[in-house]
This record gives sequence, C-alpha cells and structure tokens, in this order.
Amino acid sequence: MGRVVKSVRSWAALGAFMGLVTTAAPARAHHSLAMYDGTKVRVFTGVVTRISPGGSHVQILFAPLDEERQAVIRDEKGEPVIWTLELTGAAQAAREGITVKSFAEGTIFSAALHPLRSGDPGGSREGPMYKCPENTPPEPGKHCDSVAGSTMHGQGTLPTPTD
Amino acid sequence: MDRKHRRLAATWISAVALAACSPGNEPAREAASGVDTAAGTAVQRPRSVGRGWPVPEWEGRLPRGWRLEPGGRGPSLPRGVVPDGVEPLERDIFTSDDFYVDRDLWMDPRYYRCLSAQALEAEASLQTEVSDPALAPWGYCAAGYPREHIVSPYPFKTAQEHYEALLAEAASYGGPTIPTRATLPEWDGRYTRNVLIRHVARTTGGPEPPPEFDEPPQWIMGPYTQIPTTLSLLTPEYQQRFVQLLYHEGNSRAPQWSGMFCRPEGFMRQWMEQGGPPMDITLTQDRMTILAKGTDNIIRVFHFNRQFKLDGSVPYLGEDVRSWYGESIGFWDGEALITWTSNIQGWMTHGSFENSDQLQTIEIFTPRRNANGELIGLDHETVFYDAEALVEPIRQVRFLSKSHELSEAPPYTYVRCNQTIFLVNGRGIPVAPGTVIEYKVEDLYGRPWAAVWEEWFEQDMQRPERKRLFGF
Repeated sequence: MGRVVKSVRSWAALGAFMGLVTTAAPARAHHSLAMYDGTKVRVFTGVVTRISPGGSHVQILFAPLDEERQAVIRDEKGEPVIWTLELTGAAQAAREGITVKSFAEGTIFSAALHPLRSGDPGGSREGPMYKCPENTPPEPGKHCDSVAGSTMHGQGTLPTPTD
Repeated sequence: MDRKHRRLAATWISAVALAACSPGNEPAREAASGVDTAAGTAVQRPRSVGRGWPVPEWEGRLPRGWRLEPGGRGPSLPRGVVPDGVEPLERDIFTSDDFYVDRDLWMDPRYYRCLSAQALEAEASLQTEVSDPALAPWGYCAAGYPREHIVSPYPFKTAQEHYEALLAEAASYGGPTIPTRATLPEWDGRYTRNVLIRHVARTTGGPEPPPEFDEPPQWIMGPYTQIPTTLSLLTPEYQQRFVQLLYHEGNSRAPQWSGMFCRPEGFMRQWMEQGGPPMDITLTQDRMTILAKGTDNIIRVFHFNRQFKLDGSVPYLGEDVRSWYGESIGFWDGEALITWTSNIQGWMTHGSFENSDQLQTIEIFTPRRNANGELIGLDHETVFYDAEALVEPIRQVRFLSKSHELSEAPPYTYVRCNQTIFLVNGRGIPVAPGTVIEYKVEDLYGRPWAAVWEEWFEQDMQRPERKRLFGF
C-alpha cells in the first residue's frame, strides 16, 4: 500500500473513529432528546440496582441516597425509589470504563442528569460520572467526586444542579 | 413471462453473450472517467446515457452569518433574529394549532421560519433548553440548495428504463464485464461516510479533509435545503405526510425517530447522516454485500447477472413482498457497478420525507483513485424513482471513503435494538424494566407514527377525510 493511500486511509479511519465518538454524544444521539428538560440539571448519588448494556444506550437503574448518604430514599410503601439514567451506547460507555462489571449492582456512584419533562424518575446523563470506592458513600451532602479513591468516568467536572 | 420481461431478459442475454465473446472484459478495462484502457489503448467514451453526469456547482453553502446547530444540523440565525427584509407570517408551523388548514402556506419558506428540515428537527429534539415552539429561531431565507440540482438529470421515467439503457450501453462497449475471481475489483473493505469526516473537521476545528474526499452537498439529509424545495418534489399526499412530521417535531415536540422504539430504520436511512457507517463491502463474482448499521443492521446484497421478475406490483427477485432494504440486481460495466433495487418497504425517516413501497433506485458505484491510481473510496450515485411519493426522479451523489482493509477493521457486530423508550401519552420516554404501562399494539405497516400523532395531537384538527372503508 502506498504512502499516500496510507495517509488518506488514516484520514478516513480517523473520521470513522471520530464519527463513532460523536455519534455517542447527545447532540448526535439516535433518538430525539425532546423528552428531557435541558434547562434543568439534577445531581444524584445513588446505588446501582441494574445496568442494561444496550447497543444504543446503556441504562442504569439506581436508588438515590438521602442527603445524609446513609440510606436510599423510599416511597410511601417503604420501597426504594428507582431512577433511570440514560447513557451513551455500550461501546462508548465501555471506553469510559462504564461496564456491567465496573458498575455492578451495589455500586455507589454520582452523576448529573437532565430530568424527564414528564416528571417521571429518569434522565439523560450530563457530564462525567464518579464511582465511590466499594461500600464507601460520600459525606453528607457530598458526592463521590469528594471521596478519596473514587474514579472518574468521562470528562469534565460534575455539573452544578439548577435547583 | 410478459413481453417487457422477455425483452429485458433478451437484452440481458445478448449483453452477457457479447461480454463472453469479448476478449477485453477484465474489470480494470475501463476507468471511471470513461477512458477505456483495454489492450493498452485509451478510448474516450462519450458521455454516458445515465451515469456520472456532474452535479452542478453550488456556491450557496453556509453564507456568512449562518451558524451550525450543535451536531451540524443546518443553519439558523440566533434566536429572536428575523432575517433582514423578511416579514414573518402571522401563523407558522411553530404557532399553528392545525397544520392541515395551513395548506396554502406550506410552500412559503416563512411557514418554517426558513429553517431546513434538519435545523427544525434540531430545534425540537436537541435544543432541549427551549420548550416553547414559538421561540424557534429563523433560518436563512435568502439561500437554499436549488431544486434543479436535486432532480435527476437523466431522461428516464422509471428505474427499469434507466437500468436497461445502462445495460445496453455496457453491451455496446462489449460488456457487461464478467470478472473472474482473480480480476474482481479490490473493493473489499470498510468504508465511512464522507459527511462524518467533514462533520468532525468542522465541529472540532480540525483541518478539512484533503481534496480527494470532495463530494457534492448532501442535500438529502436536509441541512441546506429549504423545506418548500423538498415539498416541491413530493406528491400532495406525501407533502402532507412530510408537513405532518415536521409539525409534530417542531410544534408538538413529540418526535418519533424509528430507533427510539426499535422500529425498522427503513431504506432511506442509508442516505442520512447516521445511516450506516461503518459499511463493510465484500465482493464475490456473484454478489456485493454491504453490512452496515445504525440503530439497526443494514444488510444489502446486490446479485450480479440476475433478472427481476416483472409480473408483480413492482419488479422483484424472490417474492412480490416488500422488504426493508429491497432486492438488488446489478452488472459490471468495466469498473463501474450498476445496480437496480426494488421491492422496498414504504417507510419514514425522521427529519425527512416518506417513501412509498413503489420506491426503486438505480445505484452506481465507481472507484475513486488518487494520483497514483490507488483506490481511496467509491463514488456512489443514486437515482430514486418513486411514482407514488415523488413528482419526478431525484438524485444524490456521495463519496464513500475507504477507511480500513477488512483484515484490520474492528469487528463488525450485530445490532440488537433493546427498547428502553416507550410511548406514554403519545410521547416517547424511557421506562424502567418492571414498570407497567398502557401499551397499544402498533400496526407496523400502517404508518404507526402517524397513528400516534393523530390520536394524541390532532384531535381538533381538520384532517382531510380518508377514503371510507365501508363507504358503499
């Protein structure tokens, strides 16, 4: 293969790779984002109850922790309130270290999300996620990014909540 | 076999017989430029009857003052700015409570605030910080990709006419070419969409791709095209369907993208921004196979030296039953692969117009080489024929850049769409496993997206009455 072809193919390969990367970004998601309220940001620290590694979107189900970070929030029947968090596709999430294994059930993590307009407990991830060390929740009112030994998944800083 | 079928078969058999007798039928015999290099002699072909006609230059792309929405989805002005000299309509798609009664306004770009279909969709689906449709921005009314660059320049009324003309042309040059295993073109490889490379360059501020990557504007994705221009290509019924889609994206804010609900992506998705990279092409003497994917798998098989049956409701190869990517036949004319696809399921593509199950395409693949004669990709010219949806055939030309040899490409993996978003009160929202929701079973072949919009968002609209089932 000639050098010119190599360089052109490198170009195309870079484009193909970047295409995959940008495909995973919200602005180029495979579905409309009209269901999320982009004006609002909520930040949670919670416990993973289930992770579904979908090709188009990873879905993490989690039970938010209370402000004291000592217990999960429960409804009037005493059941944990479960939120859904929509991420990028499984391949892109894996490149950020978010896999079925690394975010197994019981993992304590923090993430920001744009909530659903409908008011249902769910949202679309915004910014990086932080994973606390095993069985080590943050101090009251804080998130995993404050815990020594936590790991960051994604880039940037944990967004500031809007309310 | 009817008369038309017999004639096509006879033409084909004659062409194949001619090719078999021709000593110069190697695939490298003819370059894409139309120069015949058989036996070391250069013979300049005259202009083809139906392929390779240049797309006219267009100077209007992204004038000063336009900005690309995140994701590069088409130009719009800053929110609240009305283009100079433009008088807004009292009622437009963002403020109307019934787009059906606005039919007289549909061909006025101001009805869409001069937004392209992609910009309108981006406003509704990606600019999620704004929930009031009335706050939608304006596009640039003074420019848009011209209709005459979109319609097919060729004189054919049907895909069959087009294919037969190209077949006869190949025969007149001693074709169709019948490659041996040893002389098959070296096309095997992974290809990517050129538009993605350009998108990355623009959004990351990186260098523009080298000139070898040039291709005409990808109008079909909608970023440069005024919506009335697209509407002018459509029959009245398909105009209504397109405006219906735009209304429920832009005004109702209830978009339905096929991938959201694990519905099939549809044939036309292949020409959209996200439709199909990476594309793995594999050639044998009998077939070209394209494996591609978006939210769904795209598998296309082009059968060489086969003929469509013409005794059905559309030309078909297996059975007269539509499939999502249709059925394709093709032949080689030198290095060019000329194909005909039919038997395609009618469907929708978000941000774009619907196709009917009468859609047929003529697709021509020709290798593009650099100055050293090395393959860098494939030019892909498509002419769309759809007598039910289109008032005349249209054309799209793009470049597929070769990014990898198959031996070095990351593995191709099968996509299984896992539905996490469901329709709740007419809108798609993520629903956690275990949640009980009210679910209405869809009629997959009955425009399920439209059924949802009509049920939840068009109750008070004056929709034209459909043909009554029991109107006797």
